[in-house]
Amino acid sequence: MNTFVVSARHEMLSTRRARTAHLLLIVFIGMVIASSVIGWVTNQTVTGVYEKVVADGLTTAPNPFTGVTPLYYARNAVIYVLLIGSLMAIVLGVQATLRDRKAATTDLVLSRPVGSATRLLGQLAGLGVVLAAVIGISFSVSWVIISVINGAPLGWADTGRVIAFGLLSWVLLSTFTLLGMLTGLRSKRETTALLVPFVIWSAIAFVLPQIGTAARPVSLLNPVPAVSSTGGYFDVVAAITGPFSVTEQFKRASSIVLQDPAVTGDATSSVLILLAFLAVMTVVVAVTPRNRMRSGLNE
Amino acid sequence: MTNSAIATDALSKSYGSTLALDALSLEVATGEIFGLLGHNGAGKTTTVNLLTTLLAPSRGTAEVAGHSVTAAATEVRRAIGYLPENVQFYDTLTLMENLRFFAQLSGLHRPDQRIRDVLRILDFEGRDRQKLGTFSKGMRQRVGIAQAILHSPSVLFLDEPTSGLDPEGVRTLRETIVRLNTEFGMTIFMNTHLLSEVTKTCTSIAILRGGKLVHQDTLANTLADFPGEDSLEEIYFRLESEPVS
Amino acid sequence: MSSTGVIARKELLDLRRDRLFAVLIGFLAVATLISVGVAAASFRSQLDAYNLYVQQLTASGGTTVPAAPQLFPLQLLRGGVEYLEILGALFAIVLGYGTVAKEKYRGTLQLLLSRPVGRFAIPGGKIVGLAAVWLVVVAALTITTTVAIMVIGNAPLQAIDLVRILIAAVIAWVYLVFWSSLAIGITALSPRLSTGLIVAIVVWLAFVLIIPQIGDTMDPDNQVPGGLFATLHIQKSDELKVLANFAGFDGIRNGVEVSSITKHFERLSFAFLGIKDKYNQQPLGLVWADMWGYAITLTAATFAAVTFAVGVTTRRNLQRKIS
Repeated sequence: MNTFVVSARHEMLSTRRARTAHLLLIVFIGMVIASSVIGWVTNQTVTGVYEKVVADGLTTAPNPFTGVTPLYYARNAVIYVLLIGSLMAIVLGVQATLRDRKAATTDLVLSRPVGSATRLLGQLAGLGVVLAAVIGISFSVSWVIISVINGAPLGWADTGRVIAFGLLSWVLLSTFTLLGMLTGLRSKRETTALLVPFVIWSAIAFVLPQIGTAARPVSLLNPVPAVSSTGGYFDVVAAITGPFSVTEQFKRASSIVLQDPAVTGDATSSVLILLAFLAVMTVVVAVTPRNRMRSGLNE
Repeated sequence: MTNSAIATDALSKSYGSTLALDALSLEVATGEIFGLLGHNGAGKTTTVNLLTTLLAPSRGTAEVAGHSVTAAATEVRRAIGYLPENVQFYDTLTLMENLRFFAQLSGLHRPDQRIRDVLRILDFEGRDRQKLGTFSKGMRQRVGIAQAILHSPSVLFLDEPTSGLDPEGVRTLRETIVRLNTEFGMTIFMNTHLLSEVTKTCTSIAILRGGKLVHQDTLANTLADFPGEDSLEEIYFRLESEPVS
Repeated sequence: MSSTGVIARKELLDLRRDRLFAVLIGFLAVATLISVGVAAASFRSQLDAYNLYVQQLTASGGTTVPAAPQLFPLQLLRGGVEYLEILGALFAIVLGYGTVAKEKYRGTLQLLLSRPVGRFAIPGGKIVGLAAVWLVVVAALTITTTVAIMVIGNAPLQAIDLVRILIAAVIAWVYLVFWSSLAIGITALSPRLSTGLIVAIVVWLAFVLIIPQIGDTMDPDNQVPGGLFATLHIQKSDELKVLANFAGFDGIRNGVEVSSITKHFERLSFAFLGIKDKYNQQPLGLVWADMWGYAITLTAATFAAVTFAVGVTTRRNLQRKIS
């Protein structure tokens, strides 16, 4: 077995034993499943509201939800991937690289014939499998719930869309895992290692989109991506900040994949941006020098 | 290529403007138990870090088991075992899981039988499913030895191996070190503060002071060369107090 | 000076030299300023669009000019309040965690515990210290944003506006003390330090982000961009009539929302600042009459969090296992 696979397997085992990781995984899986139910209850209510409005003769407008696909019930999962999933991924990443530095096991590892990049990428691969399993479990249960609500199993096309959404989620979460790994390698204190990626996450999720679209922080917690605001200043700034608003790009691509009626267009550019960030972060983590991996903590 | 297990030539290491190791040239013959002595900050751990390829030298060369620490670092890593000072493990994993991980990183493909053999040597039988978090300091130190010898290295580096151990732990560890040397033919290079342990285990010694080598010889020769001194401790303090040339 | 006072002073001194603390507060201040700036720019864009529309209307001979968009200066604070709501709470957790964690990992806890200090001196001192820190931070943020409204937003403020801002500042201070106290308690209870931080962050995630988000997404009007009722061209009065038929659903939705302390903070702040349209330009007495319940729950929750922190920060818990 080569050292890449050994590192990956070790990472999976360590994550399986970490209780805090379990807590986050359970919250994530629970919320993604709950989101389907919430989506269904809300949709039933909105349909009721529309029928009442029509019955009272208050509108002649068509039902905005006519022809909504069953995948509509999964739309809230987008936000939970973004909120819980990203933070979970950060914690997993930080713990992966910090574990060796905290326990000073790095020297035991690096005094063996292991390249630093192989070791780090092996850890990433292990976490990638953990993330894939978590996404796989939660989306599979979600698929069952949506099928039950729908009264029939989702067709191949819709199933393919759920899988595509799962892949997008994996790309986003892997990127945040890498961010966590990076701060786990670079920080002098455990608190900083956990906190800095959270601050970066909040800057990406709230501040960047706000600068470009004038969307308020809380409204960014909605699954539908923020709509570009009002021209002039915002057009220019949005063109600059847009590509860096990874979370908004994820929302956009996911909404298109899940056929959310509120979002139209082509997801290609958003997907490419997400992949580009994953690639850049992978390189940044992989080139970490051995000395950095060995450095101790100040706490 | 030399016949020595370890050979360094003008090996130096600087951290910024601080010279931690200054042109160290020493040789350790195959099959020896070698003790590197010196005060805190003398450069002992830096030397071990350079020889185990954990640090890259600023100047000079070194060979371990016939391989250059710079040009053939991976080969060096294959040939050595290393026990750091205050060794730590993955506490949530069991003894077996910890050792399997390190054995596989060292290139052992089916390590379980070898791990069981090593655990037998170190009196750990029946504990392989216990998590490391439950082990005492002395036990952890022996696990440290276990992880270092899994892949049957030809050279074993021990950094302050008796640090923090009680007298019983020190004695057990000493017996283990001697056994690894006599039964398995491993060359052992250790940093230590405990001069009494050096007298009991080492065949040759060197003394570092402020990053410079001030003495290297066999233990027997060292004791013979200073007939006026009663013990290795007296010799050590005398060498430490003499001006460096 | 009492032991509590000595510990509180030490916390203040410690944080004054803490770079991480400076970075966090700096980030919060910048984010808040950006939100005021962006809101002001957004309003100017609306105004430009309106002027352009009026110009075109006049040129084409139209006479019915719609009302101009009106700027309510305190509404520029909405983003800032939301940042305090989300990031302020996170940073309050981090500071609360830090005051206990630092003692543990630096090994100073044993020195502290070997002194003849009273049962409540350690948690009390830490809470008082952090409350003082938040008082200074909230005061600084309040002054900065007030100036930003006038300078960046180019909006004049009346005396009553300043009173409203002051009330919002007090609400924010109580909210931040709640999160710091909760984090102190959770960290004291956790044998492993990183577990304490992660558990506190999971609580933050649940109560600050997830629960309000569930309530928000369950709102029928939020199901369509621009609002369901606006899409269906329904007046506000009719909207309320229709929604009255879905009181059960709305009760559950509201129940989910109010189970989070964050919503209490948000509703109170939005009401007193007039960010919520219903309370915009309304007298303070009227706002208080509607909102006193939230004021009591927020205060009670903070009192409970302080009691929790003091109750669990015992010698026994602190010394359980130092990791």
